[in-house]
Amino acid sequence: MPISCRTGCGRNAVLKRPKTGDALCKECFYWAFEAEIHYTITKGELFNRGDSVAIAASGGKDSTVLAHVLKTLNQRHDYGLNLMLLSIDEGITGYRDDSLETVKQNRDDYEMPLKILSYKDLYGWTMDEIVAQIGRKNNCTFCGVFRRQALDRGAALLNVKCIATGHNADDIAETVLMNVLRGDIARLKRCTAISTGSEGTIPRVKPLKYTYEKEIVMYAHYKKLVYFSTECVFAPNAYRGHARALLKDMEKIRPSCIMDIIYSGETMAVKEEVTLPTQGICVRCKFVSSQEVCKACVLLEGLNKGLPRLGVGKSSKAKKMLAEYNAKQEQEKGSLEQAIIDLDDSSNLIDDINQSNKVTKAKSCRSGSCKSNNKVSNGSTVNNDKCSSKECCTGKCKSNQGNDIDQGNSKINSLLEEYGINDAQKDIPNGNGHGSNVSKSNGEIVENSDEDGEVLFNDQDEENSCAGACGKMGSLQIGF
Amino acid sequence: MFNCKKCDNPGNIILRKKDLYCTECFKTNINHKFRACIGKNKILAKNENVLICLSGGQCSTVLLDLIKNGISLDNHKKLWITPVFFHLMGMRKESDDELIANALIKQCNHYDFNLYIGHISEYLLKNNNVQEINTLPQENNTLINKFNDLLSSMSVSSRNDFLSKVHRDMYVHFAKLLQCKYIFSGETLGTLASNLLTNLTIGRGSQVQYDVGFCDNRNEVRILRPMKDISQEEIDQYIQINQLSPASCISNNQENCLQTIIKNFVTDLQENYQATISTVCKTADKIGVGMKQCKKCKVCESDIGENSNKLSALEATNYSSSVSVGQQQLTSDSENFAHAMFPYINQSLCYTCSKMFSEMDDSNDVNLKQILLNK
Ligand SMILES: [Zn+2]
Ligand SMILES: [Zn+2]
Ligand SMILES: [Zn+2]
Ligand SMILES: [Zn+2]
Repeated sequence: MPISCRTGCGRNAVLKRPKTGDALCKECFYWAFEAEIHYTITKGELFNRGDSVAIAASGGKDSTVLAHVLKTLNQRHDYGLNLMLLSIDEGITGYRDDSLETVKQNRDDYEMPLKILSYKDLYGWTMDEIVAQIGRKNNCTFCGVFRRQALDRGAALLNVKCIATGHNADDIAETVLMNVLRGDIARLKRCTAISTGSEGTIPRVKPLKYTYEKEIVMYAHYKKLVYFSTECVFAPNAYRGHARALLKDMEKIRPSCIMDIIYSGETMAVKEEVTLPTQGICVRCKFVSSQEVCKACVLLEGLNKGLPRLGVGKSSKAKKMLAEYNAKQEQEKGSLEQAIIDLDDSSNLIDDINQSNKVTKAKSCRSGSCKSNNKVSNGSTVNNDKCSSKECCTGKCKSNQGNDIDQGNSKINSLLEEYGINDAQKDIPNGNGHGSNVSKSNGEIVENSDEDGEVLFNDQDEENSCAGACGKMGSLQIGF
Repeated sequence: MFNCKKCDNPGNIILRKKDLYCTECFKTNINHKFRACIGKNKILAKNENVLICLSGGQCSTVLLDLIKNGISLDNHKKLWITPVFFHLMGMRKESDDELIANALIKQCNHYDFNLYIGHISEYLLKNNNVQEINTLPQENNTLINKFNDLLSSMSVSSRNDFLSKVHRDMYVHFAKLLQCKYIFSGETLGTLASNLLTNLTIGRGSQVQYDVGFCDNRNEVRILRPMKDISQEEIDQYIQINQLSPASCISNNQENCLQTIIKNFVTDLQENYQATISTVCKTADKIGVGMKQCKKCKVCESDIGENSNKLSALEATNYSSSVSVGQQQLTSDSENFAHAMFPYINQSLCYTCSKMFSEMDDSNDVNLKQILLNK
């Protein structure tokens, strides 16, 4: 017996909305999905008429859906926005190739200008060059720090009014929980803001703030949007991993908890007597920083002076800068230190997280950068104190990190199984470069996890987006 | 190597898997934590009447013991309060309920204390009778059934949340009847970490200070949590070395609800990442009340916030629910959605209590919601 669409449009329902539980037909689902984002944009006053807006594009599902919907709404409601795509290329041989191809596809599909900025453009160095200088031990530090600032620098180059990122409701709820677990009160306060940016910086906005990840996946699937997904994802840092596992469990019982957590974050305040680190701008580069000179500038100075290790070098100035930075770090970390050590040192942790999410098996990575990374791991020059380098940012194609996400097509399949109605079967993607998969040149299907390339931007405001195994970056006050 | 961290005598208690204490130093330390909490907040007048809420569980057993020790002292450290012990029935199946209440009476009498007992169903029909000491309240089955009907119409997660609000309300009610301006409640570190996460997860983020902090001052009767710095591990040890026997050993049932998931999550943290629990609680201490002084929620007495036009998850949820049923085929500036999802919001109820209300079915007795609203 077909179920009819809840809106009374007369068509049969094809899915149950994960967010509200209502059974809708495709058209009404699209409409509701887009209307909600439109509501968020207008009610939240995210844009002004005539604005140039850079969409942070990674080729992943969130940014692809964001680009698609913004394009649609800009036309439908005549926002008068000048939309463009902005991608960052770290310059790691082989790593971005596939996702950048997808972004280029987005560019053609949505007829938007695309600007791909490389680390070379932004900082004068590619990651490959940095690795050549620094070795693989510490490169995750560079990559993470540079990534956090890349969007700001890119947006400044493009001269846009604001940056739209693909953070969805799940990401934000997860971040709230994570910040509680690691006691980061400053970020806890900031992370639910729909628009962030201090004086003199380019604001970032989150039009998908109230959009459920599951609905993004379903929207992309039914709309047959092309997005890139790798099976290779960052290992979430320990806190994020914990928070994610907890959120997924709770969502099963009460889907509205995602919105409720966001509401909690929006309405809670920091006690007046608690002083938060002020978020200012770096005196050198003028981008957001909680230090006088931002970490990126410190690292760049080291690189440019041929003292990539900075503290090891002879430059007293660099030494001083590093010392100040370290002192600040220590101070900020304070009592968290032990927690971080506990979490980092525990090899059980990731296992626990994985187990609780029923990861079936680890898959081997097929992308090029992974191989080189494996080589390094095997070369046993890994410095486990700081960052287990196989989980490092350049090693994002970590072959054995199953992560906590259902693998491959099973993601959309299991969603359809749970939320699809009747003819859902017909819509299961076949992996022919349509739907949610992109074929790789060698004919292999890139399996998707729902993490996909999105980590590029979703983590930009995080501990470092470097696998997070480097808990040491955790207390930098950037972004969120 | 095997000596107490504090005094160098042989140690026999290990905390946090690494810190060794002797029995004396351990006891001193627990006492200190308990007293420091009360002392540092300096709000109790000498010989103040304090309602001590006892559940019969482990924490309540330790609380009872700590109070006994404190008021028995004869030196400058004496705890200057007049404790009034109270237990609320109606949270478990009837047979267990009576078993626990009777065991608790015995426990209190053993310390030469008396115990007052109330029943949770009286929430619906508050009278001003106080039961005679050391006796179980007479059961009003009609009332109990009404109350249980109300509970069973809600999801387990909402029900648990509602019950915690009812508890709080009843404690305050009995405190007033028994002339207490203060209440001690026995939440420990782990419980509070759970409560913080639960609060966040159900939309009570702005109420964290009241529900997790040392002092809940929503009512003129203040609820204090003097055990807030004591960990579960310490509770276990304290019970063991003092050979205490809790009145209730019945473990909470593992219902499929948010509170259970969070509790298990925290238990896991407790075992493996003790420091994270402290971090979570320290975070709680920094969270204040987000709303300006305004109307209070009829159920939880928290500030309900003003009707604002700003976009929040509340507006977004409302919009979702109407858009999903085909209403509002209009543009964004349609502001006046029927607040079907959130009855009485911003008028008599806070976000979460309002959501809870929307789940309650009182078709059996249309008055129940009104009773709550007219309190
Ligand atoms: Zn329809
Ligand atoms: Zn800088
Ligand atoms: Zn000792
Ligand atoms: Zn309330």
